[in-house]
Amino acid sequence: MKADAPIQPLDGNSPELDGFEIKRRPMLGFGLLMSSVIGTLAVLIYFGAWASSDRIENRAQAAGISETQVEGEWWEDGLVFACPLH
Amino acid sequence: MRNAALWFDRKFGLEEHTIAHYAWVIVAIAGVVQMVGAAIRMAFGVLVDPLVEAFGWSPGSIGLAYALMSIVTALSSPMAGWLGNRFGARRTMTAGTVLFFIGMMWTSQTKEIWELYVAYGIVFGVSQALLLVPVVPAVAAWFRRHLGLGTGIMMVSWSLGPALVVQALAVLFATVGWSQAFMVVGIVGTGTLIVILLFFKNTPEDAGKIAYGTKADDNPLITSGNVFVSTQKEFQGYVYKTNAFWNLINIHFLGCVGHAVILVGIIPLGISKGLGPLTAAGVLTTISIVSVSTRFLAPVLSEKMSPKAVMFLSFFGQGVGVFLLLTADSTLDFYIFAVVWAIPYGGEGTAFPVLIRKYFGHTPMGTTYGWQLLGAGLGMALGGVIPGMVFDITGGYTWAIILSAAFSLMGSLAIVLLENTRKQLIPNWPEMEQKPGEIPGSDLTTAEARPAGGD
Repeated sequence: MKADAPIQPLDGNSPELDGFEIKRRPMLGFGLLMSSVIGTLAVLIYFGAWASSDRIENRAQAAGISETQVEGEWWEDGLVFACPLH
Repeated sequence: MRNAALWFDRKFGLEEHTIAHYAWVIVAIAGVVQMVGAAIRMAFGVLVDPLVEAFGWSPGSIGLAYALMSIVTALSSPMAGWLGNRFGARRTMTAGTVLFFIGMMWTSQTKEIWELYVAYGIVFGVSQALLLVPVVPAVAAWFRRHLGLGTGIMMVSWSLGPALVVQALAVLFATVGWSQAFMVVGIVGTGTLIVILLFFKNTPEDAGKIAYGTKADDNPLITSGNVFVSTQKEFQGYVYKTNAFWNLINIHFLGCVGHAVILVGIIPLGISKGLGPLTAAGVLTTISIVSVSTRFLAPVLSEKMSPKAVMFLSFFGQGVGVFLLLTADSTLDFYIFAVVWAIPYGGEGTAFPVLIRKYFGHTPMGTTYGWQLLGAGLGMALGGVIPGMVFDITGGYTWAIILSAAFSLMGSLAIVLLENTRKQLIPNWPEMEQKPGEIPGSDLTTAEARPAGGD
């Protein structure tokens, strides 16, 4: 159905919405979404740091030097730095 | 045609339903749009070897184009949904068709890897969103009732169509080469889209018809005009304030990570356990075929029962089912897994339109659905990366299986925390459903409405 009536004033003239709290914030839904984002980043950092450690260790073994002497790629160092478990 | 459909209705004693309704034409068009739009995405794997041979690019750098396309599609989805609401699905899909043609032609002439990234990754990625996001809300607009049935049929065609087209594309790639194949797909696909979009109508009102399942005492819905635009904008502002809006993005993301890990990893996992490549591919085919049943049933049951319950069971089953893979080491084990897991997997993603309808009523769902597909797209991209990453680190797929289960089970937990679906979240919204005679410029009264299912 088409309705071309003049646009109604919207601000301060919201309809009564029975049972809907207009001023509420979606804390639960947004919180769950953010939890997933943070959890996913944590998983990626953990596995990324694991992979980085392995790569650095392999290069160290191949060169016959200690891991601290190996110069890692920027992303390898970053992931190992970001992960508290590696 | 209409007489034949009416004869079919009489012959099979359809009372509440009829096949003589334009809504089914819209569902069929949605199926073809998906087939054309998604085919070249599904067939990307066929493209890798020819490009390696022709240009010497590494498979990893070619795969980056696919990852880029997936992410661009996901990020464009909210915009595509909004465009569908604001300008109508038909115009939005027409823009998507133009980009589809440009993307295909440019990809066919690619000489440098950056061209592949721009043409396939970005141009084709945006065209995917413009073609595939607005079509679901447009189908929903054609169903006043029985949206679950319409969604179910559409989802079946979305599953079977690409599976058939991919086989045809594989033959095309092998016979005329990748460059010619892209040109052929671009020209034939664009032609097909142009023709079917001529028959596409955004809303029943555009076609001078009434939505499927409209009853004589239903108030007519506002579907266009100034009031519609302003009301839709304000309504969407309230949608953003609901927990369900954000949680559904989250749930779609978690579910897609959960099954993308399996869909991408099942063939290499099977091969690593001693299955031949063809046998391993057969496991994936079995999943595709078996999942068709619940792709159809999940939205239908969601409408009849509780969509929360159907979605919870699907997510929970998808999460628990993957543990079968931890002990699978024979062909039989893998095929048992394929059958058992495909049932919840098929129902995992198809009930979302019904759930949105339950929560937000008959307001256009383009923007809301577009945001959900952002979550889904990012989930598919992440889930696609996990198996390879885990294998590179650990030399096996056990952690990938555990992660898949964890994401699906977290999704099922998030579903439990969704609001009850018995009541709309934004109740008594007074302007989206008007009583006859209250809308200036309206020329439709409920007296014109037909019984349920009538056209």
